[in-house]
Amino acid sequence: MSRPGFVLEVDDRTPPLVVHEGEGFRLETFPLGTRVIYPPESLPAVPDVDQAIQHALRNPEGSDPLPELLFPGMRLTVAFDDLSLPLPPMRSPDIRQRIIEAVLTMAAAAGVDDVELVAANALHRRMTAAELKHIVGERVFRSFFPQGALYNHDAEDRSNLTHVGLTDQGEDVEINRRAAESDLLVYVNVNLVAMDGGHKSVPVGLASYKSLRHHHNSKTMVRSHSFMDHTKSHLHHSAWRMGQLLKEHLNIFQIETTLNNEVFPAPYDFLMKREWEWSIKDQGSMLAARRALSLAPARLRHKMFHDLRAPYGLTGVHAGDTEQVHEKTIAAVHRQQLVEVHGQADVLVMGVPYLCPYNVSSTMNPILATCMGLGYYFNSYRGQPVVRRGGAVILYHPLKPDFNQLHHPSYVDFYEEVLAESTDPAVIEAKHEQNYAADPWYVHLYRTSHAYHGVHPFYMWYWAAHAMDHVNEVIWVGADRRAVQRLGFRAASSLADALEMASDTVGRSPSITYLHNPPHLLADVR
Amino acid sequence: MKRPRKRHDGTAGPAERPADRLADRLAGRKVLVTGATGFVGEALLHRLLTQVPGVTIAVLVRPKGTDSGVSRIRALVQKPIFAAAVEAAGGVDQLLDGRIEVVEGSLSDPPTLPTDLDAVVHCAGDVSFDPPVDQAFATNVVGVRNLLRQVAEVGPQVHYVHISTAYVAGRRKGPVPEGPVDQSVDLAAELSWGTAQRDVVEQRSRDAGRLARLRRKAEKAHGRAGMLAAAQAVEEDRRAWVNEELVRAGTERARALGWTDCYTFTKALGERVVESHAEHSPVSIIRPSIIESALQTPHPGWIEGFKMAEPLILAYGRGELPEFPAAPDTIVDIVPVDHVVAAVVAVLAEPREPGRPEWFHVSSGARRPLTFRQLYGGVRDYFDRHPFELGDRGATRLPEWHFPGVQAVERLLVTSERAHKVADYLVDHAPRADRTRDLARKLDRQRGRLEFLRRYLDLYREYAQAELTFSDTNTLALYRRLTPQDQQDFCFDAAVIDWDHYLGEVHCPAVTEPLRQYDVVRRQRRASATNAPVPLTGEAVDGVAAFFDMDGTLLSSNVIETYLWMRLQEMGPSERFAELTRIAARVPGLVRAERRDRSAFLRSIYREYAGARMADLDEIADDILTSHVLSRVSPAAVRRVREHRAAGHRTVLITGAIRPLTRALRPLFDHIEAADLAVDDRGVCTGFLEASPLVGESRAAWLRHWAAEQGIDVARSFAYADSQSDLPLLEVVGHPVAVRPDTTLFRHARKRRWPIVDWSSPTVASRSLAPAGEYG
Repeated sequence: MSRPGFVLEVDDRTPPLVVHEGEGFRLETFPLGTRVIYPPESLPAVPDVDQAIQHALRNPEGSDPLPELLFPGMRLTVAFDDLSLPLPPMRSPDIRQRIIEAVLTMAAAAGVDDVELVAANALHRRMTAAELKHIVGERVFRSFFPQGALYNHDAEDRSNLTHVGLTDQGEDVEINRRAAESDLLVYVNVNLVAMDGGHKSVPVGLASYKSLRHHHNSKTMVRSHSFMDHTKSHLHHSAWRMGQLLKEHLNIFQIETTLNNEVFPAPYDFLMKREWEWSIKDQGSMLAARRALSLAPARLRHKMFHDLRAPYGLTGVHAGDTEQVHEKTIAAVHRQQLVEVHGQADVLVMGVPYLCPYNVSSTMNPILATCMGLGYYFNSYRGQPVVRRGGAVILYHPLKPDFNQLHHPSYVDFYEEVLAESTDPAVIEAKHEQNYAADPWYVHLYRTSHAYHGVHPFYMWYWAAHAMDHVNEVIWVGADRRAVQRLGFRAASSLADALEMASDTVGRSPSITYLHNPPHLLADVR
Repeated sequence: MKRPRKRHDGTAGPAERPADRLADRLAGRKVLVTGATGFVGEALLHRLLTQVPGVTIAVLVRPKGTDSGVSRIRALVQKPIFAAAVEAAGGVDQLLDGRIEVVEGSLSDPPTLPTDLDAVVHCAGDVSFDPPVDQAFATNVVGVRNLLRQVAEVGPQVHYVHISTAYVAGRRKGPVPEGPVDQSVDLAAELSWGTAQRDVVEQRSRDAGRLARLRRKAEKAHGRAGMLAAAQAVEEDRRAWVNEELVRAGTERARALGWTDCYTFTKALGERVVESHAEHSPVSIIRPSIIESALQTPHPGWIEGFKMAEPLILAYGRGELPEFPAAPDTIVDIVPVDHVVAAVVAVLAEPREPGRPEWFHVSSGARRPLTFRQLYGGVRDYFDRHPFELGDRGATRLPEWHFPGVQAVERLLVTSERAHKVADYLVDHAPRADRTRDLARKLDRQRGRLEFLRRYLDLYREYAQAELTFSDTNTLALYRRLTPQDQQDFCFDAAVIDWDHYLGEVHCPAVTEPLRQYDVVRRQRRASATNAPVPLTGEAVDGVAAFFDMDGTLLSSNVIETYLWMRLQEMGPSERFAELTRIAARVPGLVRAERRDRSAFLRSIYREYAGARMADLDEIADDILTSHVLSRVSPAAVRRVREHRAAGHRTVLITGAIRPLTRALRPLFDHIEAADLAVDDRGVCTGFLEASPLVGESRAAWLRHWAAEQGIDVARSFAYADSQSDLPLLEVVGHPVAVRPDTTLFRHARKRRWPIVDWSSPTVASRSLAPAGEYG
């Protein structure tokens, strides 16, 4: 039986605790009284995955069974989440592979032969063939990729986009033409966190900039409290409106999956355990890992982390009508991630790890690190933020201003040109977003190379807008000082210094809460 | 810089008879001055204009460029020291009309002189110690002879005052009397030898063997930039050699005959010419020692240009003169310029008889000797009180001299020179990096210092060791004949000099002032200079292009690397290993070839493509190389290309690489000039190129041709490149920019003040040969 998440109060018997910081981690001694939020332990996985899939497809929520939706001569499109999910990437076979194989088997049995597979990567980078193969598996890849029936969604290919209509609030709904014109669109999702899935799958993953700009902007993001709770997120409200419009025009069969918290494979599994419960073996692994990381050159360290594949277990698979499915999905996510927390803190401490959705096999640049810390982690709450309004946030990450020029070309320019001018999301949005979004060079790189769309760094910055609006002080520990300055934050060399700096805002004896993730957690702040 | 100026009203004291005053004795006379634009000439002109109101001055000036003699004199009298004279005359024109007669002409072919001349003062001369021998003879001997011929035309009564140098005594030791130099040199023979040297050396410099040696050296150093650049270097080297050889010839001949250098040697021969003129005309010969800044007039510390001791003083103050090859008790014979000029005026005022020339040593060694130790002490003391604050590192550390003797200093210098040579070779052959460039910059500065030391130590060694005392009996007697008031107004008695005061308060402040001012300017410039290329703002303009080199400038990749990327894609693991080994074995040879001639290098690499199918290459380029190239592109470079586009400029990529490799960058450029692999009718590469690869000078030629065809103004255009072989390309455009340059280009760019940018490429890019990443 797995134990639920809980809140530890640091006392004099508490050992130093793991804090992630980029490609490494440290053991930090927190001030007495610091509250540490631990996620629930990993839930047991579904014993027979294939059977669970079959059951979900044949007994869907609010929909006919999938086999009944398939008929000869139909146009079937299978869309699936791209490599930004799950994190870290899942150990082979990926759950999407098993679902897609099941769907395709049913389609073959029904005599469907017009099938295409589209990665719902929206404005994310095109995946390489190897990356596609990892998600869909060798067999599917071999049968579809060479024929051009397995490909990345291209949000800039005007001829392959369909403007479906406007929502009641005038939002453009423009998605992939093949998907829009299919008799059935099957969407295969991996619902890693509460933000994913639901109407965020089709209306966002297969959309174009024209459609995305309605909810991916600073105003919406500041008002999404939080975007990990779709009922209170303006981002999701917009996506939901779009999804409801789409539902009128096409048949969507949504398949959502939820995973447990098995994010670190052995020998790194000590990172998922509570420090005072580390066995001799765990301590040995920890010491070995720290030693190796301190000796390894940057390239090797990068490889050590980015070669990690998570041994995730499936906790649930649901199929059918998007909204009904998503309700069950969210319940499953909450079971695995929700931790009850009482009251807000003056200071929120978070360790930003080596990976975010947009640097798989790539570099975690300062903008992505900001997005991960002030975006995803800060928003990992339900109810109210973990930190009080006007409080302080302390983050750990080296923030080296290294960029992957292949994947993040517009990020470099965003960092050098836009952030050098202003760090205010609204100002940046008004002044620069259009230029970056329409820039032909970025568009070219997005379409032909493996680059994130020109506008993507803006979205990363908007992701952090709610946090920047909510707190008074953002302090990075152990970070590159020039990068921190560029981002408009402050740098400290240790937690003690950071607290010293924050004392102007929160006083000498603030209440401190440390979010002990990964593994993923969602703080239910009462 | 304003200094209190001493006013001279020219009135005689009550005890003196007016006729005794110099001003009165010279009243109504007309004196021709040569070299009025020089240091001594200018001071003399000033003296005569301000303190001898009755005298009319004729100046012999040579037109210089588009400046006529008159305009040069006009410019001269507008200098601050003449302000009082101009004011007294009521304006520049009035001064020129009333007091100065300009005679245009040069000493190589002097014009007819005014017939009403009473005296001629010949100040013009070559003041450099190491002039080419032909030039030294032309000025110091032929010039004097030509002038005297014209003086004789005016009449035998004209008093000729010749400014020579005390060092005509040569390498003698002990006291030197004020009389003719004891010499038995065959003047005619030396003169014809000296004037013929230019032709002789020019002939020798064109010797086939010598040219071949120079060419080999130049091609080794500049071959990568092309044959024309090498040829230019050969010609520059040859000219430099001619000059050095002429200097050497003069010095050696002078030393063979007992003089320190060509300057004193030809000056002595000049005196011989003057002596023969003196047989039937009144002649005075004034021999100053080392002339330095003024003690009193026009104002204390007045100095024009750099004289003999200043470079050494400045170098010492900058901490760059570690030791000096002099004995501490050697006498340095320095004399302020106003003493020399006053002596000239006094000499002018005295009657002189034909056939009885007089010599005057204007020097300090006999009356108020200054030892080297004292000089060192005075200068050091000055800099202790007023150190140079070069840059922002505080006061410069002053070296302490121990006077170890000539041999020790020479050894120190030779060792430093050798060490520098070795370091320079290493830097030249080191791979390029920030550290290499930094080293190159330091070495260049070091070389500048060493060359300076070598030149000055060679030059001054003779003087620093001279154990001469110039007797000044004649001069002193002349001085004593002046009225007491004139002795004050026209002082040239060395006994009045207080060396500590002169060095600390007069001379050192004067010679360091320009450098201090320059330093302020330089500091401001450094504060404002970013060394960044011109920002591209404003509206779009037509007719401008930006040319970019690819490998090394836009991206951190090279031809061998990209070749491997392309070929290895088609191979299995064992083939890959074999191919890698084969290429690795070839690398040293290829690197040598690259240093020698880039196009040969490229050809030999492209031969490796023989047998590859063009279609496959294109496909590989699109599938794999695009990522390889794009992940190596420097973000700053791409930003710059895009800025150019935004500014309406045409963007052009010039590369010696084959066209498939440029596919990834196509959208950034309006035109891509790349090498095309030749294919046979089956579409298989032959291993040859369609045309010669575009490297070195051919790039410059192509650029000119293309620009003319497209209506591009190269003077307003930009070029970006990283290596020496791109020099011709960069030279063509108006805005060249060196990007992470190799050492040679780095040095060149610094010299030419081209912007140098550091467009570094991402370091984290994956280097594995599976560019798709080992995902899954």
